[in-house]
Amino acid sequence: MNEREKVLDQYSGRVFKNRKDHIIELDEAGVPQVIAANSRSIPGLMVNRGCCYAGCKGVVLGPIADAVVLTHGPIGCGFYSWGTRRNKAKPEGEGAKNYLQYCFSTDMQEPDIVFGGEKKLRQAIVEIMEIFQPKCIFICSTCPVGLIGDDIQAVARWVKSTYKIACAAFSCEGYKGVSQSAGHHIANNGLMKEIIGSGQAKNSKKFAVNLLGEYNIGGDGWETERLLKQIGYEVVSVFTGDGSFEKMKNAHTANLNLVQCHRSINYIAEMMKAKYGIDWIKVNFIGIDETIRSLRSLAIYFDDAGLKQRTEEVIADELAAIEDQRQYYRSRLTGYTAGVFVGGSRSHHYQNLLLDFGIKTVIAGYEFAHRDDYEGREVLPDIKPDADSKNIEQLSPVADEAHYHLTLSKERFAELQNEIDLETYHGMFREMADGTVTVDDFNHYETEKLIELFQPDIFYSGIKDKYMIQKSGTPSRQLHSYDYSGPYACFTGAINFARDTYMSISAPAWKYLTPPWLVSSTLEGSIGGTENA
Amino acid sequence: MNKNFADLNVNPCKMCVPLGAATAFYGIRKCMSILHGSQGCSTYIRRHMATHYNEPVDIASSSLTEQGTVFGGEKNLLQGLENLIRLYEPEVIGVATTCLAETIGEDVPAMIKKFYEQHPEYRQVKIINASTAGYAGTQNEGFFRALRAIVSQVEMRTEKNGKLNVITGYLSPADQRYLKELLAEMGPEFILLPDFSDNLDGGHETMYQRLPQKGTSLEEIAQMGGARCTLELSRFVRPEDSPGAYLQQQYGVPCTRLDIPCGLRGMDALLSALTQLGGRQTEKIWQARSRYLDAMVDSHKYSALGRALIFGEPDFVQGTVKLCAENGLIPVAALTGAVCPEFRQALSEEMAAAAEIQFIDKFVIEDDADFARAEALAVALGVNILIGNSDGRRIAEKMHLPLIRASFPIHDQVGGQRIRTIGYSGSLAFLDRMANALLLQRASGFREDMYKKYYLAGATKPTQIGLATDKAAMLAKKTAEHPCFTCGQGKYARIHLPIAPACNVQCNYCLRKYDCPNESRPGVTTEILSPEEALMKYQRVKADMPNLRVVGIAGPGDSLANFAATKATLTLLHEFDPDVTFCLSTNGLMLPAYAEELIRLQVTHVTITINAVDPKIGAQIYKYVDYMGTRYHGESAAGILLANQLTGLQYLAQHDVVCKVNIVALKGINETHIEDVVRKVKELGAKITNIMQMIPVAGSAFEHIPMVSLKEIAAMRARCSVYLEQMMHCRQCRADAAGTLDHDVSILYRRAERLPADEAAPLQRVAVATKSGTLVDQHFGQANEFYIYESDGIQARFIERRNVVRYCQGKEICETKTDRIEALLHTIKDCSSVLAMRIGDSPQRKLEAMGIRVIATYDRIEDAVKKAAQGA
Repeated sequence: MNEREKVLDQYSGRVFKNRKDHIIELDEAGVPQVIAANSRSIPGLMVNRGCCYAGCKGVVLGPIADAVVLTHGPIGCGFYSWGTRRNKAKPEGEGAKNYLQYCFSTDMQEPDIVFGGEKKLRQAIVEIMEIFQPKCIFICSTCPVGLIGDDIQAVARWVKSTYKIACAAFSCEGYKGVSQSAGHHIANNGLMKEIIGSGQAKNSKKFAVNLLGEYNIGGDGWETERLLKQIGYEVVSVFTGDGSFEKMKNAHTANLNLVQCHRSINYIAEMMKAKYGIDWIKVNFIGIDETIRSLRSLAIYFDDAGLKQRTEEVIADELAAIEDQRQYYRSRLTGYTAGVFVGGSRSHHYQNLLLDFGIKTVIAGYEFAHRDDYEGREVLPDIKPDADSKNIEQLSPVADEAHYHLTLSKERFAELQNEIDLETYHGMFREMADGTVTVDDFNHYETEKLIELFQPDIFYSGIKDKYMIQKSGTPSRQLHSYDYSGPYACFTGAINFARDTYMSISAPAWKYLTPPWLVSSTLEGSIGGTENA
Repeated sequence: MNKNFADLNVNPCKMCVPLGAATAFYGIRKCMSILHGSQGCSTYIRRHMATHYNEPVDIASSSLTEQGTVFGGEKNLLQGLENLIRLYEPEVIGVATTCLAETIGEDVPAMIKKFYEQHPEYRQVKIINASTAGYAGTQNEGFFRALRAIVSQVEMRTEKNGKLNVITGYLSPADQRYLKELLAEMGPEFILLPDFSDNLDGGHETMYQRLPQKGTSLEEIAQMGGARCTLELSRFVRPEDSPGAYLQQQYGVPCTRLDIPCGLRGMDALLSALTQLGGRQTEKIWQARSRYLDAMVDSHKYSALGRALIFGEPDFVQGTVKLCAENGLIPVAALTGAVCPEFRQALSEEMAAAAEIQFIDKFVIEDDADFARAEALAVALGVNILIGNSDGRRIAEKMHLPLIRASFPIHDQVGGQRIRTIGYSGSLAFLDRMANALLLQRASGFREDMYKKYYLAGATKPTQIGLATDKAAMLAKKTAEHPCFTCGQGKYARIHLPIAPACNVQCNYCLRKYDCPNESRPGVTTEILSPEEALMKYQRVKADMPNLRVVGIAGPGDSLANFAATKATLTLLHEFDPDVTFCLSTNGLMLPAYAEELIRLQVTHVTITINAVDPKIGAQIYKYVDYMGTRYHGESAAGILLANQLTGLQYLAQHDVVCKVNIVALKGINETHIEDVVRKVKELGAKITNIMQMIPVAGSAFEHIPMVSLKEIAAMRARCSVYLEQMMHCRQCRADAAGTLDHDVSILYRRAERLPADEAAPLQRVAVATKSGTLVDQHFGQANEFYIYESDGIQARFIERRNVVRYCQGKEICETKTDRIEALLHTIKDCSSVLAMRIGDSPQRKLEAMGIRVIATYDRIEDAVKKAAQGA
């Protein structure tokens, strides 16, 4: 049995049939591998996935600081998504609002479920307007709302006409789709319909970009913006870390969209291309080499001598500033192995960062990625929509004549596609070495088994498996919330990450524990490849 | 409704029902739980529990999708149960429903029945279902509902076993361990339900066990029906959720309800109940009791400093209130997020008695409260300590209050699972933490307070006579050279550096626009300077004006709302010119924070605008106040502002800073209150007050308020001069004013450029009569105001608008109709020409007699002004 088969061995026939396609061992690098992804989780398997509401309210809308995000539903969901993702924000300018410290909920009670909660929702909004006077309200519904038929879209229309403010309703009931991913899509659709393009600004700046899919966990977005601004880019808006409704409404004035988290935001990138002609480029500001590659790609895209020179200057400055620490941590960390299991893009991004310090990733996986996040966008035409994905609205915006602006000529665009990651993404598999195993929608048992089989020196995932991993004697770091650390982006962020990693691996406590495989045999097999599968 | 909001929950002080159920199931041996609903529920709950307990928290989900909402979730739940059993081999499975399952009306008992039918091989696994819709209460109800489901679904062995059932609500694992030790010490055989003291606070074992190995076993639960008696340590559990009530109804096991054993009386009650049931009172227990008593005495002086806001589950709050009350730490607010009608009744007597000891007449007990309510109460009741879960941290940070973390969840610190609050030893530990927080609060400010009150205010002056005299002489000189303090005698010049754009107070009479060169009043400038630019500007102006003595920071926002810029500017300027006089204008909001530093920065003159000394009146003047990250409205805004203005003024005055207080007279709002303001600021040490007219600004909230007439202002000043010197010559200068009061040349220094003095023709000052503001289109005699321009014939620059009435210098000139012309002439007497559409013969003669050229024209203003200047 190889490692993959050993993991699957425990399952019953039915579960085996399902899971075998989600667990892939890469044996010959470069040979296309197909993985099953974005399909329903198996009940009872203790998966790490969240729900549609978590993706919409928690991930995409949550970080927008100057909008009131009102959860329409019973209290739990609003409470659990209250300031838990460590997305930082600071209000900018006089009178700017920051609602990130707040959790707003309609706190539905039993009678509201029986008789409908629309009236309560309206009344809650009256109260919000009285006390908080926001310029923008997002309404997010939880499971029961969709079932009892509250028309939150009608309420949003009423808010817009009564208060003359922006308002969008997101029907992101937890049961929709198969994971957070559906919520990302629903949030993308709502922002596209109601917010982007609603501002009056005109396209004017030469190097104006939007940063998409950067949620400013632990300050990542700020670090990235700092670099971009230093080089001379105008960052029109960030989706959605330290996000601002006031800025996002003018996102259509940018010349280029930079896509950091492909999974959660590619919809907006594509829709903005169709509607406003804005090209997008896949970037990755996690990892030193990747940051350099991304910055150079941008300079190539804009093809401006001054910009290119500034880019190189900034890269040189940043590298010089971290050189000593980079050498130190590299010398300390080289040779270690890691497991990386995060949401839908980070598992890829962090492999690059780990490589900067000589750490090899031996097992990796995503919670809610789609096939293109593993195999690259080349497979998009082959992905057949299933019942769950068909339930999520697919928008097809048409060109907006007033704001449509192409930055590149068609010829130049085609030419550049060969040079940089222009409107393409090659996926995580390409990064991974022979013999590594990738798991889609990993669960508690599989994580435990993989740790046992691969014995990585450190395991990066989230709070739900953190303590289980540590109980097994393996250092762990949370890549969702960074364990109260960060930023990890760009150059100085890479050093923060290396420091945190080394601190975890070298914690004295590990020396006093004995990992189980040193005490008794937990693996079965024989030497010399004579084992029977 | 005693809540802020009726239909909106802002920052909830409660969690959902299934979370409580999942926690309770963690107290059962070899039990796994599964939530029937969408997978987000279990993910969110796992995340919240794991962060608190720092342990693996594994709760499965039936992962319902949209299809499940249509066809029902039976298939998912059956499959989930099967997988759970295959992978974890549990002895018990708790199935808790969620909002989704309850809303679509899932029949879980029927599904479990079906599961057993399909899988006879799993019959030995006990599957327990709890109906826990998220909208049917809070985590506290969920907790008891799961316990009730457990005792009602496990087959009981009813033969009498003489054991004692002990059922608790939400306790920390450490408190559960304590309870077990206590019961073991006292002797009676007991069954503790639930018991997650190991499962949620485990050690590091050689092999990690996926399945929780400890807790109350099925075997023990089965004996609960044959027990001698039940002690249920919860005052507020609903009868329909109470496991004790069920055991009594069903199996005749008598149930005694006790308070959570927090504090002396709570623990005494438990001890006495256990003694009656045959428990031994050992020496060890009595020692713990006497140690707690000793601690109560030891810390009573610090405990009594406390005014506590306590929040969380009803039982926790009640126990903590009793502990606080018996220690003289006054619980002034007790809040729970749960809907709990008995809550108020149960606590009011205790809290009233506690409050009475220290003359506190107001305390609040509320159920169904959120943190927005808690924050409002903390302000209103003068709370100085918060006790509850870590969600109170936001208030704690904002108000700089200590938060004693207890209960669930603790998300921002480690060790939440080991916090002790019950028993004598737990009460002692809990009390120590409170007393220490209060002690720290007192100690951290005590020396400083005393130093300020006695040492600085009293002792310094006599011992430093020489120094004080020097300083006084220096101050007198600086004041004498300050244009605002010398009746604008025109000898010395001042410059206002516009470096402070932001403001933290919105006054209803103010509308600040930066790029507004056509107005002259406070709050207006054409540009904002960086500290470095400000230095450059000062250097340029100083070179041209050797009589420049005073640098003022007057906005356009508030100098202290931009303290970094203000500090940098003052530092730079002081380095360049150590003799410069610094004069700062502020609304006073941030004075307590920065006054000390301002003195260090050599600021000798400060102007504070104080329009009212009564928050009720202030509330009409200020729209809002942004303070420490929060926007306050109404009287709380005015109250905060006022308190800071007055403490700031007093502090500055005590430290020899010359303080001027500006008062904007607002018709119908503070006009009768101004005397009070003057008296108050005099008392605190202000040297001069300046009562000013409000200039109505289009677009501001007070746009349509009539101006208080100059006559009225003069009368007010006369009345107030009895108390304090009055400033009579205020020009309500721009935020970037430069020059002497009578001759503002700020226009020359704007936008970092200036006319080269040697090349430019002499400047002509031209008065323009205009209605439209763009054309010379007004009859001279009908003009109520003049636009004043300066021009060298090549460029024309707007200086200011002069209101004829405002420039009127007194009764004898302005009061009579016939002398209106005199007022007009007086307004423009410093101009070399006047432009008007038409002009009467008599004024024309008078103007020419004054040496002012009269040009009648109908033209664009700029062109006409330039022509006039060329013709000179």
